[in-house]
Amino acid sequence: MTLSTRRSLPVLLAAGITAGVSIQTATAQTVVTQWDQFAMAGITAAGPAMDELIGTCEPDLGGATVLRTIAPSIGIRDSYRLAVSANKTPDLAYTWPAASVLAGYARVGALAPLDDYYEQYGWEGINDFYRGRNSFDGAIYGVPMEQDLMGVYYNPTLFEENGIAVPTTYAEFQAAVEAFKEKGITPIAFGNRDRWPATNTLSLLLGLTAGKDGEEAVLFGDASWTNDQFKLAAETFQSWAKNGYFPKGFNGIGYDEANALFLSGRAAMTITGTWVLQDMARGASFDLGVFMLPPIADGVPPGTMWGEGSQWQVSANASQEVKDATAAYINCLISPESRKVWVEKGYLVPIGTTPEELKQWDTLPIVKSFFTQGLATSDANFYDLHTTLPESVTQVLYPELQRLIGGDVTPDDFLSAMDAAWETAIDNGERWVP
Amino acid sequence: MLTTRSAYLFLAPSLALYLLFVGLPILQIFGFSFFDWDNGIAGDFIGLANYGRLLADGVFWTALWHNAIWVVLTLAFPLLAGLVLAAILAERNASVVRWLGAIYFIPRTIPLVVAGIIWGWIYNPIFGLLNFALEAVGLGGLAGAWLAQDNTALLSLNVVGAWTFFGFCVIIYLAAIQSIDPSLYEAASIDGASWWRKFRDLTVPLLRGSTLFLGLYAAIEAMRFFDLVWVTTQGGPGYSTEVLTTHIYKSFFLVGDFGYAATLSVVLLIIVLSISAGAFALLRKS
Repeated sequence: MTLSTRRSLPVLLAAGITAGVSIQTATAQTVVTQWDQFAMAGITAAGPAMDELIGTCEPDLGGATVLRTIAPSIGIRDSYRLAVSANKTPDLAYTWPAASVLAGYARVGALAPLDDYYEQYGWEGINDFYRGRNSFDGAIYGVPMEQDLMGVYYNPTLFEENGIAVPTTYAEFQAAVEAFKEKGITPIAFGNRDRWPATNTLSLLLGLTAGKDGEEAVLFGDASWTNDQFKLAAETFQSWAKNGYFPKGFNGIGYDEANALFLSGRAAMTITGTWVLQDMARGASFDLGVFMLPPIADGVPPGTMWGEGSQWQVSANASQEVKDATAAYINCLISPESRKVWVEKGYLVPIGTTPEELKQWDTLPIVKSFFTQGLATSDANFYDLHTTLPESVTQVLYPELQRLIGGDVTPDDFLSAMDAAWETAIDNGERWVP
Repeated sequence: MLTTRSAYLFLAPSLALYLLFVGLPILQIFGFSFFDWDNGIAGDFIGLANYGRLLADGVFWTALWHNAIWVVLTLAFPLLAGLVLAAILAERNASVVRWLGAIYFIPRTIPLVVAGIIWGWIYNPIFGLLNFALEAVGLGGLAGAWLAQDNTALLSLNVVGAWTFFGFCVIIYLAAIQSIDPSLYEAASIDGASWWRKFRDLTVPLLRGSTLFLGLYAAIEAMRFFDLVWVTTQGGPGYSTEVLTTHIYKSFFLVGDFGYAATLSVVLLIIVLSISAGAFALLRKS
């Protein structure tokens, strides 16, 4: 090495380091890590809409970029809980459920309160019902977007071919089921191997036997699970199973398999929710129809199970800069322009979408029909057990419900088991109240 | 010359890794069990409260019972079938032994998750191959919802477990039989002993070590298996296929009660260690 080379080395080195630092500074950028469940198939398969909206809304992040991870379907809940325990939550997550589980995350300080952003951006489309379900201890921790409703998807072709009218009362529903049974057609496609589908069905039956008031008396008041209305719901569900409403061996059939049974035209109906509208719309070999299950008990108004599905939540660990960026991003995602994209590209009808907007936007008739019918009874719509019960109670509900509809326990035994788990959860401070 | 000191020095790295990745987590789990947890965040020290809760936990006792049934069934069927099959195979020519041994071992190479998915389809009440086959041979009356009924679910899963395990038993026993001095069998033949007498009085006693090893292996696997149950029934219907590992999983990952899950894990560890200690004691005696 020559002397001149040796002398110039430190200069070159310093220049190189400075350049490197400059390059690093120039390219340093805020990154918002996002977990969501918007895949292209399965539950909440609004992937096409999310893809488009990231492109549309990313500019609102003030120079920050979104680093996205898709955790499809219901598995995101388990992943998020692990992230909470490791204190490594993503900056922004669209995960389920709200209410009691969201409250659990807020209770341990994993989520950032969003009250200031609600005030800054307004978000008037999110009414008090939804704000309550996304609150804990007086602060709001989630921005709900999706609306989940339950209904009865039906095959109009099978109904017409067999001369069966779409039921408007529970007695007509029972008559329709019996008629399909006689013709050798599975009346209701139902599979509960995955354990959670029956919980949604029970949520619907509880509301149609006890009504919203009856549910609230138990879930937020002092009434016991062992009341007459809840017993009627349990008896109804057990009788459906016993009387052949479902395919044989339903506790060994998966949710997707049951949906496939319906979509292939081998079952007349299936009772599930709008969270699978995308798969239903894309997979049906016929024009889909939907009706709301009529009330079962006398004096109970028409209504359906109504929840927010999932919600956007922000990590308490995120920097203020990131929190501000995510709030601006969420504001874009739930704007009227974005709602149109969710509806048209993702078959997902966000909170705040009016019936007039839904009529005008370009989406499938089944989407319009489901939400028009379901939201017509918004005052009477009732609760989703998945989001309202603490996890410890849900993990008792799953097996006990399998036993109930499998005919292995009586409705009284089922309700007693639920009451015991419920009381334990209350004693442990796990109950969420809006 | 290799001294005791240098032997320990050679052992030290793997021992250190073992302590770091096995010993330390075990101690950690033991510690977790004395605390109250909320959504994965440690709370107050509660002493032995979780252990008290375990005693009153009906699901724990049901799960433990199912694990015990699994141990017995695994010892009874794949072990026994493996032993008899190996004894028969050992008398065949080398080519037959090679081919049949490989065929029997194939299920062992399939991960339990994959086996569970495949058999889940076989057992499916709508499109399952088993019901289809039963109907095809005129036994449609026996068709059922194998994984959906209380009285058949655990047994149906055990069939899958046995299917994946018995080939392993065949190979182990085969190797052990082939190491037995053939002159013993020749002498027995000269004395006029039947196949059954030779099997009962020579083969079985001489394979005691292999039987104890396989028994211990089977018992430990029967206590700690998880994937087969989770991909098929998740412990259902009801609690009919609940085992200790699924109960631990639900407590930990679904309820977020790390303390109670840790307690269940500690108890499972004690059970497995007790089984191992008993088996090693028997092995030393033999």
